[in-house]
Amino acid sequence: MTARKRKRLKTAADLKKLRRKIEGERDSEAKCVRVCVGTGCAAKGANRIYEQFLQAAEESSSVKVETKCTGCHGFCERGPIVVVDPGGILYVGVEEADVEEIWRETVLGDRVVKRLLYTDPSTEQVCRTAEEIPFYKSQQRIVLAGNGVLDPTRIEDYIAAGGYSALAGAVESMKPEDVLNEVERSGLRGRGGGGFPTARKWRSCRDARGRIKYVICNGDEGDPGAFMDRSIMEGNPHCVIEGMIIGAYAIGAKQGYIYVRNEYPLAVTHLTKAVAQAREYGLLGDRILGSKHSFDIRINRGGGAFVCGESTALMASLEGRVGEPRAKYVHTVESGLRERPTDLNNVETWANIPAIIKNGGDWFASVGTENSKGTKVFSLVGKVTNTGLVEVPMGMTLRRIVEEIGGGVRGGKAFKAVQTGGPSGGCIPAEHLDTPVDFDELTRLGSMMGSGGMIVMDEDTCMVNIAQYFIRFLKDESCGKCTPCREGLAQMLDIFDRITRGEGKAGDIDTLTELGALLEGAALCALGKTAAYPVLSTIRYFRDEYEKHIEEQRCPAKVCRGLFIYEINADACKACGICKKNCPVDAIVGEKKQPHSIVQEKCTKCGTCFDKCPFDAVIKV
Amino acid sequence: MPEGAEVVREIVERYERDDGMLIPMMQDLQAEFGHLPPDRLRDLAFCLEIPLTRIYGVATFYSSFRLAPKGQHEVTLCVGTVCHLKGAGEISEAICREFDVEAGGTTPDRLFSFQPVNCVGACALAPVMIVDGKYYDGVTPASALEILQGLPAEGEESQSEDES
Amino acid sequence: MPKVKIDGKTVSVRKGQTILDAAKKAGVWIPTLCHHPALSSPATCRICLVELDRGGWQQLVTSCNYPVRRDITVSVSSEKAVNARRGVMELLLARAPDSAELKELAARMGVEGTRYPTVTESQRNCILCGLCTRVCEEVIGKAAIGFAGRGADRAVAAPFRQASDDCIGCGACAVVCPVGTIQVRLHEDTGEIEISPFKSRSKMLVCEGCGKRMVTEPIAAEMLSRTTKVDWEQFRKRAGLCSECRRKITAETLALVAAPGIDD
Repeated sequence: MTARKRKRLKTAADLKKLRRKIEGERDSEAKCVRVCVGTGCAAKGANRIYEQFLQAAEESSSVKVETKCTGCHGFCERGPIVVVDPGGILYVGVEEADVEEIWRETVLGDRVVKRLLYTDPSTEQVCRTAEEIPFYKSQQRIVLAGNGVLDPTRIEDYIAAGGYSALAGAVESMKPEDVLNEVERSGLRGRGGGGFPTARKWRSCRDARGRIKYVICNGDEGDPGAFMDRSIMEGNPHCVIEGMIIGAYAIGAKQGYIYVRNEYPLAVTHLTKAVAQAREYGLLGDRILGSKHSFDIRINRGGGAFVCGESTALMASLEGRVGEPRAKYVHTVESGLRERPTDLNNVETWANIPAIIKNGGDWFASVGTENSKGTKVFSLVGKVTNTGLVEVPMGMTLRRIVEEIGGGVRGGKAFKAVQTGGPSGGCIPAEHLDTPVDFDELTRLGSMMGSGGMIVMDEDTCMVNIAQYFIRFLKDESCGKCTPCREGLAQMLDIFDRITRGEGKAGDIDTLTELGALLEGAALCALGKTAAYPVLSTIRYFRDEYEKHIEEQRCPAKVCRGLFIYEINADACKACGICKKNCPVDAIVGEKKQPHSIVQEKCTKCGTCFDKCPFDAVIKV
Repeated sequence: MPEGAEVVREIVERYERDDGMLIPMMQDLQAEFGHLPPDRLRDLAFCLEIPLTRIYGVATFYSSFRLAPKGQHEVTLCVGTVCHLKGAGEISEAICREFDVEAGGTTPDRLFSFQPVNCVGACALAPVMIVDGKYYDGVTPASALEILQGLPAEGEESQSEDES
Repeated sequence: MPKVKIDGKTVSVRKGQTILDAAKKAGVWIPTLCHHPALSSPATCRICLVELDRGGWQQLVTSCNYPVRRDITVSVSSEKAVNARRGVMELLLARAPDSAELKELAARMGVEGTRYPTVTESQRNCILCGLCTRVCEEVIGKAAIGFAGRGADRAVAAPFRQASDDCIGCGACAVVCPVGTIQVRLHEDTGEIEISPFKSRSKMLVCEGCGKRMVTEPIAAEMLSRTTKVDWEQFRKRAGLCSECRRKITAETLALVAAPGIDD
């Protein structure tokens, strides 16, 4: 691949010319192999697969084949994913050993390798392309449109696909006020969790006093189970950058920051490259595309603190301080980073901007519900058959997401709850599965949209254990500045530790509820205020589980050690003696050829027999 | 100027002496030295003209920063219920005594870091000790010390012949 | 000037003053712990919570740092505000079980005790209000102590948890500590004062005139370094004296000046 010399684009017309030039260089009929190297596929060896294809392409003298590495498609359950164009033939679960066959059959021979295609487990239908796969069929990909298609390390891919034309249109023929109006018409609400109307935030920042203003992209995605922002930053960094340049134009900011979580090195790499390439073309820097708008971006890495996802804590971190939030009685749009008017938006929020400016606010508002416009990217994970990233229009029901796209609960187990909103959210039980995904609807149920994590839980999940997990997580990540969060979470964890040990006391549920209310009212920042939501929502919908833990010292889901017992099913036991031999406390008795049994008084409930029994004769009761 | 301080000077210049970039500076410092040596942090406070307490506060707030170097080897001892019943407590004490190391800390010669954990889920192997990812089952105070004494220091060959 | 209606009383305050300022003016008592008029107000302790009328809903806000920018209505004695403050106090009592000052404040708030056990032990009897760190940085200008760690493991310490190189032994931290945890102790045998729990020791200078202990060496050094045009002979003479003895010299000198001819 010859290195491209990038010359500064002086006008919007230059950009158009460049796009036509790139398109002209490409042969739409040419063959192309797209290999996903997002983190999920990379973990399964996708980089080696990419290298193999690259090598094959180099060695192939007869046919010209382009090889591309792309960002996350979203179907992480079935990675590594390889797509062959023309035709978009999509292969799943590709291994290094398959490269040769794919090359020979599909790339050169235009034939399909059937065994590598996706087969729908319920209909047995074999799918050739993404559009045929149920996981993708119900999705509407605006934000993720470029993922899996573009090479994130080549700005030319983005430009050829129409990238930066929204920016060109904005600075050439729109006034900042026009841009604001367009975003307002779209009804876009923040995608980081707060759901605050984006245009309103931009307007407040623009109207705030002060010549120097900042825009920030919050890439500190910390919710366990959420990786939407990572995939966007890794897979299509330019849509975020373009969004920021447009936003800065509307607000009147000249400096922007992208704050990326320390644990996302690939995102940092791709963003850094993208910023550098954008600068080369003059899309960042002075007088962008010949306009009066000058703007540049600096990329900062986090230091490892979940709390830095909170806007004021993030700004403190950007000032070289500990990530402590501060009161928001004076909003950050008035006084934020270095006490200057600052607009902070989430990665996904920024990623929506180019499409809104390009296609118009009305187009965006035609998708979604009354109060929640557009689409939302979710990370669908947990006990669901198809885990991965999904982008759906607001208003789609939870049931459709879990069952149609997610393929339902895996292993034929019963659905129990879906947790949304990360540690600030709540668990939604089966009876509410037909709720449309919408900011206000989810809040009404005691959860929240949050950043988009969607964790599916089944009958084997203990809801008390889940609440304990979230409290422990939040306690570890609490910045410690304010009393209610720091002390309250420690007290709540202490109570949970007792309950899950079988030492729960009457009144514990009330104490947890009161502490939750105290946190909500008294904590300093939004993270502290919402910290108890997982507890409050599990008490609301699964109170009986708490009661059984406390009153009967029993864990109905059989998760909390010591709160259930192991027994040997006499009918299934084949008297092989493996359990007896491995029991560390000699709690199993049984004669040769007789069903064995566990002496409960000696049993420490370590679960070794359960793990070792080859006949699944040890059961949890 | 001592070499270490020169590295700090360089890093500070790299970020144009902007104390707002303190965290990236400390990340670069840690990348250079493997951890954050106290003297280098003092140099940093001096170069940037900010209080050392602020730097120490940042170093102890963010999870990615390490003030003490990790040992060459990582030793984990399970102190879950079953291992505990089988004497993990005595093993832990023996290790701490013999190698002058605290739970969660690193030996003075930086040979290994010692971390007791709550149940690794291998109760049939109790007591369990994991060294650099390798499981040792049924350890006793004596056998645990023997395994650790055989750990190769940097550049040395492994002295342990017993691959239990 | 915006008006603040607080528990039925109405006062005017300057724009930018806080609800706490308004309460003081109106004679309404709000408990505080981490607030000090000479220092910044990060509102960490949350004991000064009051209810703010948002026209339709009520919001709990901290009175020590809520800036009054327009007319507002505030309730200090509403059930929600009282319960919030009491809840915070209960958590603090669990955190600092041995503080007499805290128990006194609790009693004044109508909180008899706490139902919570002490579960956080990073620094016994410290409520992590940060007053000591702020006075040291903002007023004294030394920043000898600061917060270290995060969350429940947070503690106030000098760098590397060793005795501070920068502490001048002024004791301002002990003065502002609202729970009596920071103590200044004199070690007679070594002539040092120690500030606990920071393990900070400073030698005390002794008056060359009468032998009384007067000021710490670091403070004296600090003062010496700040002076400019000075009669160094006189200065050095007086620097080694306590304020009593210094006054004696001055009186003698003045007597000499005021009664000329005494040497004739």
